[in-house]
Amino acid sequence: MSDHVMTKADIEAAEHLQHAHVEPKDFLSRYVFSIDHKYIGKQFLWAGLLFLLFGGLLAMLIRWQWAFPAQPVPVVGKALFPNSGGAITPPAYNTIFTMHGLIMVFFAITPLMIGAFGNYCIPLLIGARDMAFPRLNMYSFWTFVISQALVIASFFVELGSAAAGWTTYPPLSTNVGTPGHGQSLVVLALFVTGIASIMGAVNYITTVIRFRAPGMTWFRMPATVWGLWLTSILNLLFVPVLGSAGILLLFDRNFGTQFFVTGAAGGIGDPILFQHLFWIFGHPEVYILILPVWGFLIDFMSFFSRKPAYWFKGSVYAMISVSVLSAVVYGHHMFVSGMSPLLGQAFMLLTLVISVPAEILFLNWLHTMWKGSIRLTVPMLFALGTVFVFGLGGLTGIYLGTISTDLYLHDTMWVVGHFHLTMASAAFIGSFGALYFWFPKMYGRMTNETLGKVHFWFSVIGVTAVFCGQLLAGYNGQQRRLYDPFQYTYIQHLRDLNKFTSYFAFAMAIGQLSFVVNFFHSIFAGKKAPKNPWDVGTLEWTECDSPPVYHNFDKVPIVLRGPHEYNNPDVLAKTGRDWIGQTEQLPGDEVGLDAVAAE
Amino acid sequence: MKSLQRVLTVVGAASAVLATTGFAFADPIPETTIWGLPRDASVEGHRVDWLIKTTNGFVILLFVVMCVWMGIAVLKHNKDHKAEYDHGDSKHHIAVAMGISALIFFVVDGNLWFNSTIDVNSTFWNHEAADKDPNAVRIEINAHQWAWDARYAGADGKFNTKDDIVTTNDVRVPVGAPVVLQLASTDVIHSFYLPNFRIKQDAAPGMINRMWFKAKETGDFDIGCTQHCGIHHYKMKARLTVLEPAAYKNWLAEMGTQLSLARSEAANANDKGANWGWEWKRHDDNSDARNGAVSEAEHDHDHKVAAQAGGDR
Repeated sequence: MSDHVMTKADIEAAEHLQHAHVEPKDFLSRYVFSIDHKYIGKQFLWAGLLFLLFGGLLAMLIRWQWAFPAQPVPVVGKALFPNSGGAITPPAYNTIFTMHGLIMVFFAITPLMIGAFGNYCIPLLIGARDMAFPRLNMYSFWTFVISQALVIASFFVELGSAAAGWTTYPPLSTNVGTPGHGQSLVVLALFVTGIASIMGAVNYITTVIRFRAPGMTWFRMPATVWGLWLTSILNLLFVPVLGSAGILLLFDRNFGTQFFVTGAAGGIGDPILFQHLFWIFGHPEVYILILPVWGFLIDFMSFFSRKPAYWFKGSVYAMISVSVLSAVVYGHHMFVSGMSPLLGQAFMLLTLVISVPAEILFLNWLHTMWKGSIRLTVPMLFALGTVFVFGLGGLTGIYLGTISTDLYLHDTMWVVGHFHLTMASAAFIGSFGALYFWFPKMYGRMTNETLGKVHFWFSVIGVTAVFCGQLLAGYNGQQRRLYDPFQYTYIQHLRDLNKFTSYFAFAMAIGQLSFVVNFFHSIFAGKKAPKNPWDVGTLEWTECDSPPVYHNFDKVPIVLRGPHEYNNPDVLAKTGRDWIGQTEQLPGDEVGLDAVAAE
Repeated sequence: MKSLQRVLTVVGAASAVLATTGFAFADPIPETTIWGLPRDASVEGHRVDWLIKTTNGFVILLFVVMCVWMGIAVLKHNKDHKAEYDHGDSKHHIAVAMGISALIFFVVDGNLWFNSTIDVNSTFWNHEAADKDPNAVRIEINAHQWAWDARYAGADGKFNTKDDIVTTNDVRVPVGAPVVLQLASTDVIHSFYLPNFRIKQDAAPGMINRMWFKAKETGDFDIGCTQHCGIHHYKMKARLTVLEPAAYKNWLAEMGTQLSLARSEAANANDKGANWGWEWKRHDDNSDARNGAVSEAEHDHDHKVAAQAGGDR
């Protein structure tokens, strides 16, 4: 790829492949069933943020319950739980934590990180005029909306929504443990959202392979695109496994099959089979939800340290290695399920091997900052915060990948703290950083920096305190998913710990108002954004206005260099700037296109 | 009045006797500090504690290095000076990055892998050695929503016979002897968790799982459920009582006597619900006993079903 020489023919082929769509005039195709990736990206953003609010409020109810078990919930309690005087009941609690998990994973972080930024960024960052399959893209979003509607509907049927935990283990998730249509509707919602994910994944993968602008070689792509592309591959490979488990479970629930049913209820099915299917998907899923953030971090560290990304290829290879390894480590979720000892030890070794690419990524982020010229913009603050919480989350994971320590810590609050630091904190804080970064491009207006910093401090201090509190509770042995943890003698002394953790959670939630205010205020009344407010060289900033025109690029851009050229002495000497666009020809270097060879 | 007093005296004396011989519950001793692991009451728990604590050391060190590195970079390498133009992809740079990663991997992950492999093979998952120990105490545990039933083999040493001793949420074991458990579940998946012994194991319907531990001190401890098992998951709590070997023997004998009295009542003689046990699964029997928890009467029939299901798997 590095010896690729662009010819006029390549450029003509690119123009032909990506003919400019004409912006539709009618309301429906413009604002509802839009096929414009930028608009669909924003639709996913709103859908994700709304469900983030929903999932976040459920989290607050859980925290209330752990701080003040079975005491009436203030303000909303009477309305939500009228039959218990405003207190959360055990069945309600089970629904709350189950739906908190499912909503956050599948209906908040996925649309936000992959739906919004995948759609918005991929074509712009690789120099494409739209996705490879714009209409499929629209179907993907509206299929996703159907899945969200199913989730909402599940709360209004008799016996309420799903209550078998986000992992949905049978037999509890079959009619044996969770009767009623709520659980079925939620499993169906997972299946439908899986279809939306697969449609998106096919689109992203194809777009990146086929629609890169002339000269946009693989290693000239921003790391953001790498992260989103690898995530899409994992989605395409592993979401179908979840889909198959979901379909079998729906059959067990509604049509009398017994794939997973056994025990006193009859049946010779195998509940453990479901765990295998779930985690074959489930472990790649946690990387699905972090790879895009790793991409953001690699780019932002370089952009805001005004320094090339340190060993960029190493970071990309590390992301590829993690993607491959993610497929062969899932057994560490099942160490205490009765797994064969030999298999368990194989999974332990493979899991620990993931440390190596993770360390490469961390070292490259840190090295990129070192001797940089760091600008503490809001996106950079969020990037630093992401490294901080992901560091905590990653390091606390090695105890769980190791069998003997997992025997104690498995399914305790330690696990909850660990995965909330990685796939929740790092994923959300990284995505918020990305939102602050691309907001000027999306809405053509700048966000308020002070409010952004307030949001940053509330979020990072909040998640650190809350999830370290959970780690500590787990270290003391507190099990997860307990309606009232203080039934047990050995964790009686954790009442204050759980209370303080909840106070931090409430404070963090209130702090999110700074984001809400900032978001709405900036959309309508923010300062007009210049074309390239961050002085970076990637295509969306150098080739497009803020916001970009409907077809993104009047002419398909011709890419000459990678995305991380900062403080290049040659560029400094010739232009006086510390950055250069990916398409920009240096004065004195103008050459015929036929002779432009990739570096 | 007098007779009541006499009854009370007798009851009081009886409870005193029971308390000393281990018939009565005492509450587990509460923990005092949030900054540590709960009390370790097992002979082998120190292996887990040591590995957790050494890893804590490594993890804190790495995290502090990361934070200091980031902190200095933010404070020192700010916009007051130009950034160094360095792609970090020279052979030297790559060698340093790979070297640091390899060092961390071999020291931190290597320590975890090496010790955990030894601990798992020699101890935690070495059910064979525990089961072969002549002092081993064998207990079958059947979980159901939302209680733990325990079954002792009784005087004949065989499970699933008339003299089995069955308790609910009350597991008693002698100190210092390996306690070998086989776990099954009637309905959904539960997980048998002994925080003070650093172990847990799922109890799933259709299969028999194993775990073992050895108590190093007498006392009362919590048994918890760590697998979400429905509405009253949080109440699925049982008591583990570790007794001196003599007290344990007394308790088992007394339970046997009470049981034979109860059995003599016609109503209880054919109580299938109480006969959920299974033949003790030998340590070298790796067949997957589906429908492990079956009633005595249906045992033969279900054994065939079990064999078929195992084959299908």
